Amino acid sequence: MAETEKITIYAMGKAYKVPAGLTIMSALEYAGYQYIRGCGCRSGYCGGCATIYRREGDYKLYTDLACQTPAEDGMYLVQLPFVPANKSIYDLDKIEPMETTLVEHYPEIVKCVSCNTCTKACPQDLDVMYFIQAAKIGDFKEVAELSFDCIQCGLCAVRCPADIAHYHVAQLARRIYGKFINEKVEQLTKRLNEIEKGVYDKELNKLMKMNKAMLEKAYKKRKIEGTK
Amino acid sequence: MEIAYYPGCTLRTSAKNFESSSIAVADHLGITFKELSQWNCCGTVYSLASDDLMKHLAPVRVLIRAQEDNKENGLDNKLVTLCSMCYNTVKMANHLVKNDEEKLDTINQFMDEEPDYEADVNVLHFLQLLDEIGIDRIKENTKKSLEVLNLACYYGCYLLRPEEASIDEEPEAPSIMERIMEAAGARTIDYPFKNECCGSYLTVTEKKYTAERTYKIISSVVNRGADAIVLSCPLCAFNLDRRQKQAKELHANMKSIPIFYFPQLLGLAFGINSNELGFNMHYVDPRPLLKEKRLIKR
Amino acid sequence: MIEMIDGYPKYMRESIKKVEETRQDRVDKLPKPMSMSERKKILNKFHPDFDPKGKRKVRTGPNKGDIVPNEVADLLEAYPSIAPKDIDLSNIDYDVDVLVIGGGMAGTVAALWALKEGIKKDKILITTKLRHGDSNSIKAQGGIQCADREEDSPAMHYLDVIGGGHFANKPELARALVTDAPKILDWHEDLGVMYDRDNGKYLELSGGGTSRFRLHSAKDYTGLEIMRVLRDESINQGIEVIEFASAIELLLDDGGKVAGALLYNMETEEYSIARAKSTILATGGFGRLHIQSYPTTNHYGATADGLVMAYRAGANFVDMDTVQYHPTGAAYPEQIVGQLITEKVRGLGGQPVNKDGKQFVFPLEPRDVEAAAIIRECTERNKGVKSPTGMVGIWLDTPIIEIIHGKGAVKENLHAIYRMYERFDIDVTKDPILVFPTLHYQNGGVEIDVNAATSVAGLFAAGEVEGGVHGKNRLMGNSLLDCNVFGLRAGISAAKHAKKTKLGKLTLQHVEKYTKNLEKNKIKPKMRSPMLLPEYREEDVLARRLRLST
Repeated sequence: MAETEKITIYAMGKAYKVPAGLTIMSALEYAGYQYIRGCGCRSGYCGGCATIYRREGDYKLYTDLACQTPAEDGMYLVQLPFVPANKSIYDLDKIEPMETTLVEHYPEIVKCVSCNTCTKACPQDLDVMYFIQAAKIGDFKEVAELSFDCIQCGLCAVRCPADIAHYHVAQLARRIYGKFINEKVEQLTKRLNEIEKGVYDKELNKLMKMNKAMLEKAYKKRKIEGTK
Repeated sequence: MEIAYYPGCTLRTSAKNFESSSIAVADHLGITFKELSQWNCCGTVYSLASDDLMKHLAPVRVLIRAQEDNKENGLDNKLVTLCSMCYNTVKMANHLVKNDEEKLDTINQFMDEEPDYEADVNVLHFLQLLDEIGIDRIKENTKKSLEVLNLACYYGCYLLRPEEASIDEEPEAPSIMERIMEAAGARTIDYPFKNECCGSYLTVTEKKYTAERTYKIISSVVNRGADAIVLSCPLCAFNLDRRQKQAKELHANMKSIPIFYFPQLLGLAFGINSNELGFNMHYVDPRPLLKEKRLIKR
Repeated sequence: MIEMIDGYPKYMRESIKKVEETRQDRVDKLPKPMSMSERKKILNKFHPDFDPKGKRKVRTGPNKGDIVPNEVADLLEAYPSIAPKDIDLSNIDYDVDVLVIGGGMAGTVAALWALKEGIKKDKILITTKLRHGDSNSIKAQGGIQCADREEDSPAMHYLDVIGGGHFANKPELARALVTDAPKILDWHEDLGVMYDRDNGKYLELSGGGTSRFRLHSAKDYTGLEIMRVLRDESINQGIEVIEFASAIELLLDDGGKVAGALLYNMETEEYSIARAKSTILATGGFGRLHIQSYPTTNHYGATADGLVMAYRAGANFVDMDTVQYHPTGAAYPEQIVGQLITEKVRGLGGQPVNKDGKQFVFPLEPRDVEAAAIIRECTERNKGVKSPTGMVGIWLDTPIIEIIHGKGAVKENLHAIYRMYERFDIDVTKDPILVFPTLHYQNGGVEIDVNAATSVAGLFAAGEVEGGVHGKNRLMGNSLLDCNVFGLRAGISAAKHAKKTKLGKLTLQHVEKYTKNLEKNKIKPKMRSPMLLPEYREEDVLARRLRLST
């Protein structure tokens, strides 16, 4: 293959030449940085590599995940090592899901001016501003659904002019929804009781005593659900 | 003499001569300008714009949603609100951007993730919509006339002020709510407080003041024979209903009357099941009055 | 500048064109599944786990003489990073009842259950190398198995687990796994985890090797959803977590019990002493060792530190000879190399095809066989496609799913995959994706009993670091379950143990002894361990790196 094309990135203002086609994360590693902070799952699930950057000749600040974003020529990069956002401490068992519950725990949400900066900052493209609006009126279901893919990177919180910690608000809303509002499923309680009563002990004891040949035979005989 | 002095940015850039001449004159008169130890821009860039645009983002975003939804659904470019406060906020933001292209442009630029607001949405309060649909329609739909009720219509501030937001052509002598309630058969009274403030947010910090307002308003309508007040704003409703408790503590002789939100009474007239109308959520229970007047079952 | 067309370089488009040309003809035509002897042959020749060069006998420690992957042997045969004489053990920084090493799912579960078992919150400490929650658990997409339907039973689940593990699992561990599952789900529900519903019941799916639909999920973010709830709960309960503080050696007391750990502040490089009556190892797996240079689905910290520490303290391993490779990891674009492409893609009819657009394997062979066939295509047969960064892979034809199931089928069933590629301008409903097997899971680990106790007193283990639960091969949906079941058991056992334990004098003598053994076995000091962080800096940079002395 031909000599790989190089681009220039600026790590906290310092220029490095790196090959094109890397992520921001691997470009910085190529340049010689070893991450301690600012790197987690490397797949876009943990929110550990929240990055703020600017493009040369553009005044705007952009936000994304270092592990999922291609490095571009002329990027000025910095990663957030930590987001010191406020989290409410609560005993979920004692919470009553009311319209005002979320406002009580996070009164700053009423200061939202709907500027939508949070939404623009979200690397998951979630409707952050609208779930905060839903939180203001105690619509747990709406908050839970709109925020479900939140990876809690904290970029919304650092960009918010009203100092809201959107991702913590959403966490509380989802837990309230999951515990108090989501439908209860009976089969689980039934199975728990059966296990407690020892309904399956005999069968399990028998399986545990089988030698490998007997187990293999039983395994091959299994009927696979969903196949003919 | 010495006096604290704030120079500002322009006098240090394009108008240096303003500063130098002033200081010279002052000096001549024995005045010493003592510059503030630290200072920042006065904020003229923003304050000249008479309003902080940030606070208009929320209502304009609502208007953009209306504009876009209306396009998608093929509706007339209108938006109706029920709450007086929302009505006023959205209406005034609309008014602002309709009459100031520059501000609209700034807001549109800030909200670059949204389609531009074209400043064409017509914001209506529900009362206006009812008036527009026509008194006849209300009459036609009235199954149980409200003729047994003598009502005081209360407008408060947000439906009428400022003038640009007024839902009535005569903000100082409004009659739109009376027209609508009368169409459903009710009788209405005239009284001096109908467009005066209920005490608004003072209810949080100055309960007593709001309670006095409530006393004044309620005594006035009771003296003129009203059975109840009908209104449109949730904050007015809170003050006139909830604060009757404190008002009574201050004026033991005050007569309590129920406070209705106008569609609750229209609903009764139209024969809608009273369970849907939420009469259980009031501080002063309206059900005894409604039972007495045979508007709901005993 | 490489010319790009809809997410792919122009030269790759030539191969994609061939895939398109053969697509319609391939819809109803599939290669035959392999016979048992063919399977054996291809595995032996191409599966990394069957490559004798990939493994060797470890030359020291409790499992001396057992076969393990070279990269694991290297770490076990490495010399300790510290000299015990440099450490002052008399100055105790943290004195707790239960120390949890690792802030992923197993560790957090263990801490919460130690608390439930009556240990005071200020007597529990979680220490973690990265952030609280950084783990493989948080990226688990698929779900968690729980046999709770009428048509299903813990016994059926048990048989699936044992068969999947090639009948090598410890039976009592497999039993604990399946019988605790409903209790775990019930607990999660109480904490507010949002499992998917379908008409008032759980939405349950099937996974590879399961005989019943029993995979409970929270959309494509099951691990994330559970982890963030557990982390939130742990914060609410006031359990202390020290982040960026890696345990680097276990501490023993003079009676030979594990008595805490030596911690290392990753940022200030200070050490500190955490003394604990019970220690729970929840350090996860080894994906970042890049066994046989494979890319991995694992998180940044998966460097087998727990294995090294436990081994030096005298704990033995089971089933460390097998490694799970997932047949389809992303091979392009570079940004997502190694990331998981769920088996569901092939379940829906997606076909692996080579650079000429031709099929070469039945799409739903067992994971190991499928992986071996893809490797053969890319190596011996040279029918793979090379990415601009040098990764070779084969095409996984995703657009064919829309021919089979109709328009919209990809977005509806594979939204996470759709979204993942959309970021790179690739539309998987129109273009195939390049894949290659990826290192996925550490099947074995530190041996535990049903109480999550290891062979060393005072040391408990939970999650991917332990072994015996899954035998030689873990099934989809059983790792999240493992973290919870054995996290719970480790928490309770550690609490009980702490209540009756008195510690003697702290010592690092086992580390000295281990070093002496290395010398005695004539193992040369090539490297030091634990590794803590994988090395991704360029060789040029490393070659010129100075360590200034002062």
